[in-house]
Amino acid sequence: MPWHPSPGATLNSQILAEACACAESLGGVKDGRWKTSIFFYRPMTRDGAAGQQGQTHADLPRELLGVALHDRPGLYFSIVRAAKLVLQADAAFPQVMEKLQSYKARVALNFEGFQYQLGDFCLRIGKCVPNNSEALRGIMMEVEYYPLSSIEKSRAIMEDFFDIWQETVAKKSLPGHFIHVESNFSEYGLSDQYSFQHTAVQYATCLQQLMTAVRG
Amino acid sequence: MMQLQPQAQAAALAVAPSASAVAPPTANPNDPASGDAPPKQVAQAMERLGRAGRLIADIRLGADRLLEALFVAGSAPAYSTPQHIERTERVVIQEEAAMRRHFQDLRALGRQLEESGVLNGALKARGNSWGLHMPLVCPDGAVVAYAWKRQLAGQAGASAVDRTRLALKAFTDQKRRFFPHLEDEVLSHLHDGEPGSTKKPRLSTSNGELEEESLSEILKNLETEVPNMKIFTYRHLDWSKRASSLASLMDDDFVDPSKELNLQNMGKSRSSAVTTSIDQVAVIELLVPSIFRAIVSLHPAGSTDPDAVAFFSPTEGGSYLHARGVSMHHVFKHVKEHADKALQYFISVEPRNALSLLLRWIASYQTLFTKVCSKCRRLLMMDKSLALLLPPVHRPYHQTSNVSPDLQEAYHIGCSSYDG
Repeated sequence: MPWHPSPGATLNSQILAEACACAESLGGVKDGRWKTSIFFYRPMTRDGAAGQQGQTHADLPRELLGVALHDRPGLYFSIVRAAKLVLQADAAFPQVMEKLQSYKARVALNFEGFQYQLGDFCLRIGKCVPNNSEALRGIMMEVEYYPLSSIEKSRAIMEDFFDIWQETVAKKSLPGHFIHVESNFSEYGLSDQYSFQHTAVQYATCLQQLMTAVRG
Repeated sequence: MMQLQPQAQAAALAVAPSASAVAPPTANPNDPASGDAPPKQVAQAMERLGRAGRLIADIRLGADRLLEALFVAGSAPAYSTPQHIERTERVVIQEEAAMRRHFQDLRALGRQLEESGVLNGALKARGNSWGLHMPLVCPDGAVVAYAWKRQLAGQAGASAVDRTRLALKAFTDQKRRFFPHLEDEVLSHLHDGEPGSTKKPRLSTSNGELEEESLSEILKNLETEVPNMKIFTYRHLDWSKRASSLASLMDDDFVDPSKELNLQNMGKSRSSAVTTSIDQVAVIELLVPSIFRAIVSLHPAGSTDPDAVAFFSPTEGGSYLHARGVSMHHVFKHVKEHADKALQYFISVEPRNALSLLLRWIASYQTLFTKVCSKCRRLLMMDKSLALLLPPVHRPYHQTSNVSPDLQEAYHIGCSSYDG
C-alpha cells in the first residue's frame, strides 16, 4: 500500500516514524529490518546507443523490472509489465543479464524499513529510496496474513485490516493517507494461491502508484 | 495383577472425561475418630485415580515424543552430522528414562488402588460403607464414581438445575451400561469391553432414543450435507506419515497450485487403496480447502467416540499436526481452545451422538474468515486481553442439531456471551 501525500505536502521521514508508531499501538512487535529492491532495466540496442527506436527494436519491451524480495534472497523475479509476464529465477539471473548485454540496469530502487509482527499479521513499513542517493521517494507498507494462502478467501480479512489500519493512522492527522492498490493477478496468469510471484507483481504495481503520486 | 494397563490406547481418556462429567466431591464431613472413614477413602481413591490419569497422559506424550524422535532418526539423510545423531540418541534415551519412571509410578499407584478396592469392587461387600461406594474402574477403563443419590443431594445448589440434570444423565447412562443387574431393565446387553465391538450400532434404549449411527454412516451423511468439506480417514501411523509429507510439500519454494489438488487426490486414493477398514480408523481429517484442516481422533479406534480435536491452516505440515497438537497461527489456536470445550460438552450431554455433533459443528467453521460477528457485526477485531486481531472464532455449541449452517452464529472471543 503506497502512501499518497496530500496535494502540496512534502514527504518526510516523520510520516514514516508515525506509521511505525501506529503499528506498535496495535500491538505490533518489532521484528527486524527488511529490504526489497527493484531494478529498472532498459534495452540496449546493438550499436550501444540506448533508447534508439529503430524499426527492428519496435517490438522490444521498453522496460524490464527486476525484483529481489526480502523473504527469498535466493530468488530473483523479472517482470515485463507491457507483456504481463512474471518470471521466477535464481538469484544469479542478473549476472546472466549482464553477460547478455541485452538489457542494462539503469536505476535501482530500494524499499527498506522495519518489520512488525501483529499476531497472525506481518507488517512491513518502509521508505523508498534510490540506490545511490538518500532522497526519500515514497513510503509504503506491506501486510501479510499468515494463516491463509488463497487470495479470494482472504479478501474480507485484508479489507477489514485495512479499515482498522486507516482508522489508527487517521488519528494521527498526518498529511496524506495510505491507499490500497489492487494488482490484477489474472492478467499475469497467476492463480488464486498466493506465491512470491504475486508479491513481485504487487511491488511493481505499488511502485507505479508511487511514481504517479509523486509526479501528480 | 494389574487391571489398569498403562498402554497408550488404554484407559487414559476414559478416566478424564468421566471425571469431568461427574461433579467433584464436596468436602464430606470427615470422621475424626478413624482416619479411615469411607468418605476419606473415596476422596483418596478419586485423587489417586486423578494422578493415574495424569501419569497415563504423560506416558502418551512420552510415546508421541519417542515416535517423533524415531521418525526424525529414520528420515535423517545418510550424511547427518554426528551432533544430529547424538542429539536424537539423547532424546530417545531421555524419553525412555522418563517413560520408565512413569510406568513405575503407575504400577505403585495401581497397587494402592487395588488395595483400596477400587479396581475390583471389593468394597461393595463391606458393611460399613455409609452408602458410599468406592469408585469402580470397569474393564474398559470408564470410572463409575459414586452412589448417585446420596452425592447429588450433598451438592451445592447454585447452578443446580443444569448441573444435576447433566450429572443425572451421565450417571444413568453409566448405570445402564455397567450395572444392568441393579435395575430390572429390558436391556440385558452387557458391555464386553472389547474395542472391536463398539463399531456396531447399539441397541435402542427403552426410552426410545434414536439408534446410533455407525462410523461409516456418520461420515457418509456428513459428506452429503457438507459438500465443501473433504473427509479422510486414517489409522494412527498412516496419519503421522501424511502429516510429515504435508510438511515437505509446503516447504517448497515453487508453490504449485496444482499441488494442493494432487495431495488431496493422493490422500484420497491412498485411503481408499489401503481400504482403511472402518474398525481401524483412529484419525478423521476434515479439510476445507484454503480455509482450515481439522483433525479428530477417535478412541478406541473404529468407534464413534471422539477424544480430541485440533485445527490447523491448510498450509501447515509436520509431526505436530495431530488431534492434540496446536497450530502455529493464533487464530487456529483459539479455535482449538473453543473446540476442546465444545467436545467436552458434546461428550457429556449427548455421548451417543457426540461425533456427528462435533463434525457438524466443525463444518460450521467454513465461514471462519468471512462471517461477521453476530454481536458487533465486524469481521476482524482487536481482542484487548490478547492484543491480537482475530476474526470471530467462537461458534456456540449449546444449541445442537438441526441448526442450518447459514443461521449458525459466530462471535469474537470478547463478544461471546458464554462463559465457556
